[in-house]
Amino acid sequence: MNEHTHRIDRRTFLRGAAAVGTFAAAGAIGWEIRNVTTHDPWDASAFPPRDSSRVAVLRAPSYEADLESIVLGGLRTIGADVSGARVLLKPNMVEYDPHGVVNTDPRVVVAAVHALRRLGASSVTVAEGPGHRRDTGYVVEASGLSPALRDARTPFVDLNVAPSSAVPLRSRFTNLGSLWLPDAIRTADVVISMPKMKTHHWAGATLSLKNCFGCLPGRVYGWPKNALHWAGIEPSILDVAGAVRPAYAIVDGIVGMEGNGPINGTAKHVGLLVIGDDPVAVDATSAHIMGMDPAKMPYIAVAGRFLGLSDLERIDAVGEDPTSVMTPFAPAPGFGQTGSITGGQ
Amino acid sequence: MVFDTIAARVRRAKTSEGGYGSVAGGGPEPEPTAMAALALHDRDAVAWLLGTQTTEGSFGTQAGSVFSDDTALVCLSLPDGAQLERALDHVEATAGVNERGAAGPPPYGWPWTSGAYGWTEPTAWGVLALRTRRPASERIADGIDALAQRECAEGGWNYGTPESFGVAEPPFVQTTAVALFATAGIEEGLTRRGLAALHARWRSEAGGLLTLAAAVAAFRSFHDADAGEAAEALERAVGDATQSDTVALAWAALAIGPGLSALSVG
Repeated sequence: MNEHTHRIDRRTFLRGAAAVGTFAAAGAIGWEIRNVTTHDPWDASAFPPRDSSRVAVLRAPSYEADLESIVLGGLRTIGADVSGARVLLKPNMVEYDPHGVVNTDPRVVVAAVHALRRLGASSVTVAEGPGHRRDTGYVVEASGLSPALRDARTPFVDLNVAPSSAVPLRSRFTNLGSLWLPDAIRTADVVISMPKMKTHHWAGATLSLKNCFGCLPGRVYGWPKNALHWAGIEPSILDVAGAVRPAYAIVDGIVGMEGNGPINGTAKHVGLLVIGDDPVAVDATSAHIMGMDPAKMPYIAVAGRFLGLSDLERIDAVGEDPTSVMTPFAPAPGFGQTGSITGGQ
Repeated sequence: MVFDTIAARVRRAKTSEGGYGSVAGGGPEPEPTAMAALALHDRDAVAWLLGTQTTEGSFGTQAGSVFSDDTALVCLSLPDGAQLERALDHVEATAGVNERGAAGPPPYGWPWTSGAYGWTEPTAWGVLALRTRRPASERIADGIDALAQRECAEGGWNYGTPESFGVAEPPFVQTTAVALFATAGIEEGLTRRGLAALHARWRSEAGGLLTLAAAVAAFRSFHDADAGEAAEALERAVGDATQSDTVALAWAALAIGPGLSALSVG
């Protein structure tokens, strides 16, 4: 692994983005964040500022690679401390498409399970609350996650039906007030968000922060969790991620999804895993790799003000240079039109 | 014997208060309690439900500013009386919102949560509640229109989006089964295409207990030729299943037990 630390200055990013000509123009989407400029809508005591964030950008050419070693190396590089911890892994399994690349690949999930055990985690649980399919059992069985977890003797929790309770929000980007969070999320010592690297027609990209939607129980928020859409997708991302508070993120960027994401896009080989100790920094770095300017993605930019670091110049990226491995993704249709979304889309 | 086995597993989620949790060990909630009440004819469950009705006549879960509305499903299990009438009033007064912050044009259907879009399953429960308990309701036509609008191109229904950014979305077995109960006898084409979607997909989606149970319920209700094979698959699945999703287990009990008649209109 290349241990050299990369920091991406703004000029370097703009050169790359201009060269690929993708998302640079998509920044000014129709989204408002209440009171952000006049009064920070979060409790400062709940979100202490970060001095630094560490993100490992790691080559993983295929799902046949030694993913356990790669993930283990990445977690060690970012200084992940899970010794004795009850760890919950949250992959993205929104629904199953036998012909698509919708979900975090089960091989990455299992690699993370084994790596975390080697780092001393006292337990590792995998959990998800699919957003489109009510039948979680079908999604995890058909996708291959269930068989893989059985082989790895790893428990799975269906967050859509798991016991849950109300948690007051410490941020107020929406008017949701409080969220129902599964006990499995609330009681885990460490939550790790494990998204697929893919585009999203409303948010631009769905990465470790957006992946937190799947932590909320569908039996309360529905299938899909439309209450969050109507509360404002990007404000909801901020409030939900602020409640879930993943400690680490592992992005499956081996094969991502571009174009009509998050469900109907096409496979995009990137050959990377992105692992970090700050989900905001991981998302900013991943967006950069996808050819997007995170500074122009409102939810990432605002998350960088209270949840983590989104400024590429302040993120310690180790391993591959994010700019040199930039792999531009075709944007999702509809991105930039959030003001006109309708429920049926 | 199979019904008794499934019923016993459903009852593991029964609380001392009479309601059922979403899983064994969870606190009582309206939706699993209503499903258990239907599947097991459990009077304790009905009594618990009656004790949770809000002053607005609704049944559901308040989560911050979000109200998860289970009223239509609960109506199917309630006895005749003032509480049922208030619940039906609430169902009639509830509608989906077609655009963020605006009602938009009809049809509206019913949302999972107050003030949200009308999705397939809650719309099906809304239609079914009114068709079985208040058949003269004018909202039935809107609900049927909403389901017809949300029908997938190949027939059947997914969660409620037949097309997304120019791509036709496929139907799901579970939502198709629920919608078939709601639309039964209304429009022959909806039923025929929905059953065709079930035929085409139930085997490939049989890895999910909820999906399989809903398929068996629909096949049995429509006297379909796949009912026997699907029921055998369900029996095997229940034996193998380790999950304790009360709603899925209650659907299984409903599918093979006497409670299925509660989902039939007329």
